[in-house]
Amino acid sequence: MSPAHPLRTMRAFALRIGGLFARDRQNRELAEEFESHLEMQIEDNLRAGMTPAEARRDALLKTGGLSLAQENYRNRRGMPWIDTTLRDLQYAGRMLRRSPGFTAVAVLSLALGIGANTAIFSIVNAVMLRSLPVEDPGRLAQIKQGENGDLTNPIWEHVRDHQQAFSGALAYAETKLDLADGGQSQFAFGLWVSGDFFRVLGVAPMKGRVFGKYDDRRGAPALAVLSYNFWQRRFASDADVIGKTVRLNRIPFEIVGVTPPWFKGLNVDRGFDVALPLACEPLLHTDRNDLDQRSMWWLTLLGRLRPDQTILQAEARMRLFSSEVNRATLPSDWDAKGQAEYLKNTFKLSPAAGGFSETGSQYRIALFTLMAIVGLVLLIACANVANLLLARASARQREFAVRMAIGASRMRIIRQLMTESLLLSLLGAAGGFLLALAGSRLLVRLISTGPIPLAIDTSPDLRVFAFTIAATLLTALLFGLAPALRATRVELEQALKENARSAVAGSSRFNLGKALIVGQVALSLMLLVGAGLFLGTLRNLLTVDTGFISQSILIINADAQQASVPKSQRVQTYAEILERLRRVPGVVSAASSMLVPLSGAGWGTRSRPEDGAGASPGDTDLLLNRVSPDYFRSLRIPLLAGRDFNEHDALHSPGVIILGESVARHFFGPANALGKIIGLDEFGPVRTLQPYQVIAVVKDSKYRRIDETPVWSAFLASGQDPDPWPTVSYEVRSQVPVEQLIPSLRAAFAEVNPGVSLEFQNFENQVGDTLLQPRVVALLSVAFGLLALLLAMVGLYGVTSYAVVQRKGEIGIRMALGEQRQSVTWLMLRDVLILLVVGLALGLGVALAAGRLVASLLYGIKPNDPLQLAVAVLVLACATTVAAYLPARRAARLDPMAALREE
Amino acid sequence: MSDKSDVWQGTLALMVLKTLETMGPLHGYGIARRIEQTSGDLLQVNYGTLYPALLKLEQEGYISAEWGTSDNNRRAKFYALTRAGAKKLAEEARQWEQTTAIIARFLFPDREAS
Repeated sequence: MSPAHPLRTMRAFALRIGGLFARDRQNRELAEEFESHLEMQIEDNLRAGMTPAEARRDALLKTGGLSLAQENYRNRRGMPWIDTTLRDLQYAGRMLRRSPGFTAVAVLSLALGIGANTAIFSIVNAVMLRSLPVEDPGRLAQIKQGENGDLTNPIWEHVRDHQQAFSGALAYAETKLDLADGGQSQFAFGLWVSGDFFRVLGVAPMKGRVFGKYDDRRGAPALAVLSYNFWQRRFASDADVIGKTVRLNRIPFEIVGVTPPWFKGLNVDRGFDVALPLACEPLLHTDRNDLDQRSMWWLTLLGRLRPDQTILQAEARMRLFSSEVNRATLPSDWDAKGQAEYLKNTFKLSPAAGGFSETGSQYRIALFTLMAIVGLVLLIACANVANLLLARASARQREFAVRMAIGASRMRIIRQLMTESLLLSLLGAAGGFLLALAGSRLLVRLISTGPIPLAIDTSPDLRVFAFTIAATLLTALLFGLAPALRATRVELEQALKENARSAVAGSSRFNLGKALIVGQVALSLMLLVGAGLFLGTLRNLLTVDTGFISQSILIINADAQQASVPKSQRVQTYAEILERLRRVPGVVSAASSMLVPLSGAGWGTRSRPEDGAGASPGDTDLLLNRVSPDYFRSLRIPLLAGRDFNEHDALHSPGVIILGESVARHFFGPANALGKIIGLDEFGPVRTLQPYQVIAVVKDSKYRRIDETPVWSAFLASGQDPDPWPTVSYEVRSQVPVEQLIPSLRAAFAEVNPGVSLEFQNFENQVGDTLLQPRVVALLSVAFGLLALLLAMVGLYGVTSYAVVQRKGEIGIRMALGEQRQSVTWLMLRDVLILLVVGLALGLGVALAAGRLVASLLYGIKPNDPLQLAVAVLVLACATTVAAYLPARRAARLDPMAALREE
Repeated sequence: MSDKSDVWQGTLALMVLKTLETMGPLHGYGIARRIEQTSGDLLQVNYGTLYPALLKLEQEGYISAEWGTSDNNRRAKFYALTRAGAKKLAEEARQWEQTTAIIARFLFPDREAS
């Protein structure tokens, strides 16, 4: 008969799928149908004159084998392979339930392995792989000058008005805004955005409107678009929020719109709270206008590629456009050399589909290292489960042999075993996925510091699902296939014989187990070495001498921008506040400074010793800070020579400077630096070096990072600041826990000027936060290293126990012949120890080779540090030996008679 | 049993359809007996081939099945030709006729001549 019409085939297919279910009822019906068929045949036979017995026998013969018919019928009814798979799954489920201990260990180690991988991957996915949820993100490109992504507003305005390369362009900058009206600050994360920002991204408002070109003009009214999140949090999802105001840095902004919940800005780390028109930026300053600054690099520029252009074509056009922009935006106050450099700037484009993430760039190597670590953990878990499966398979030899003897093919049994493996890894994956949901969130919280918390969205998407599924299938294949192949290579006759303990080709089975143990030991050693290195790095960083003592110091970042303090009054107001703070009970000493060390901020300038001993040709870049008297005493920075600043170092008295010891040595060698004159480029309109006299030398202290080598740093007096910033930081050393001081300090500020905005920070915590990455890497690598150790111990314990069971007879004979218990223990232990040594040697080699890859994450420790390696080897060797000794000792306790009788 | 050939699947389906067209609704045993008789007892139909074939035809919608009572008051499943089945039968019969005619011309050219 010719094949049925495709539609009929589909109908049949659907019915067959249906046939997979309701199997019981159908089986009953089939049996009934066969029964009636048989009965009718018998009746006909009787009518034809046979005896009842004959009639029945003949009918049975005619109708053919019942069970074969049933099998054929069933195959036709359902989809045989799905049917078999379902049956395999049922069977696998039964087998796993029957040995709950094995199942628990296997599923748990797989869940930990898969979970750790999924957790790290969902962070990598969020900060590096995922595209922004905006219209066609693949066509967004960042406009940079060379490698520099921060551009000036004059450049942006010229690009906006004259570019031809894009269908649209936008500019934005991130900013920290204060929601409080003076006093303790409450921060919101703001975006300055160009008028076209939302249109170019293709983001329509959920409520009200977004900005348009019209909002881009200078002097435009103060408007705000809220993020969905901020609208919920700050305005309790107020339906009538449009037209209300939000006060930011004490300026009222009228709310015109709310963005939809899926739009979280271009920064995937933090999202945003409010977007404000770029043109309103000058409102926040009383004394400057960033919009016309030609040396103020603060804007990120993005363009949307025209539909018919590639990024390379657009880049070519932008490159041609560069010189026009350079000429139009040249900073007129730069010297000739600087201007010549400026005119060489050329535009470059880079894809911006994924948005921007500081986590992605800062933690890049750390994330890849963690990805590698969790990958190794998963491999170890696989090796472990494979070993358990091997041991189990040999226990189930007779089962396989029986099944093969009654006609099951080897493929069929391998398929059954792989189904069991798949079920195990699926269970592991389910557990791992739940672990990852919580784990990735926990990790983000762990690396989130500072006043604006990280808001990385690690919720799983298709890519994360695909990753987990791939990891699951791969692990099932890795740990399941080899044991299944080995287990089914059975010599039937032998296996069925009563006494054969191991019919599975003896030595080869054990070789696979041996290889697995060696691999597991080697991988565990790598992880332990890594954990040791990262832990050592953290220890080194924690014990670095920063040059100051951060304990018991409270930092107050004060912002007088909106506090109506004229610039000329700033120095005096800051000093008044400082005087008032010193009188607060509990304060040991207090000082003010322009910058707080290790806060990430820095200020450098060109310098030259006027009367140096000729030791330093040319200019030296100095890292500077401006500090009040008592700064060194408050931070416990030792004064090596000379005097501290005092109130006589004022604006019109001769300039004074305090040098760090390194730069003093650099400039003046071993000679006394006191009294020498240093010329500093004051960065003012007049580009001449101003003379400063050295009045003291202090011990070096860390400036930007804890792991920096000693930098050339120097200090100027706050009192001599010709151009004081509207912000200042106070360092208060306290007798009591620093947090207890906050209320009285806040009151002290209010007495002098209630309008100053304040942010309080525990200096010790702030310094600790700079070590976050090494801390997280150390924590996770130690956790995973211990997990690997545990898995290796379980693996060795299992293999030794198995060997003991296998060699029971031999042990019994040896003991019956008078061998000592000790030598029996040693016999069992010896094999394992050889594996251990091979594994350690292998792991050591790989660890040495891989060490170089993580060198950039290390501090004060070499990847081949012999002590670290020795400790890792020792820990692993001891732990695994103990794990193998326990079952080996059990072997020595065997009763020889009992063992022999069993044989 | 050796002198009776088992029916092969493709033709069995066609025979089932033809049987149902001639006889009207019929149970499995009836179909088997009818095919055996029509073949002059040269064919033997057993469970293992008949019921899967019936199921396939049912799944493809060429026949329908319903439980009913046989002549001697026995519960049995009755199969009946559907309209799609009737169409299929006509088409298959025509094709079969054509095929056999062609094969006959190849195998027994002299008969053709006579």
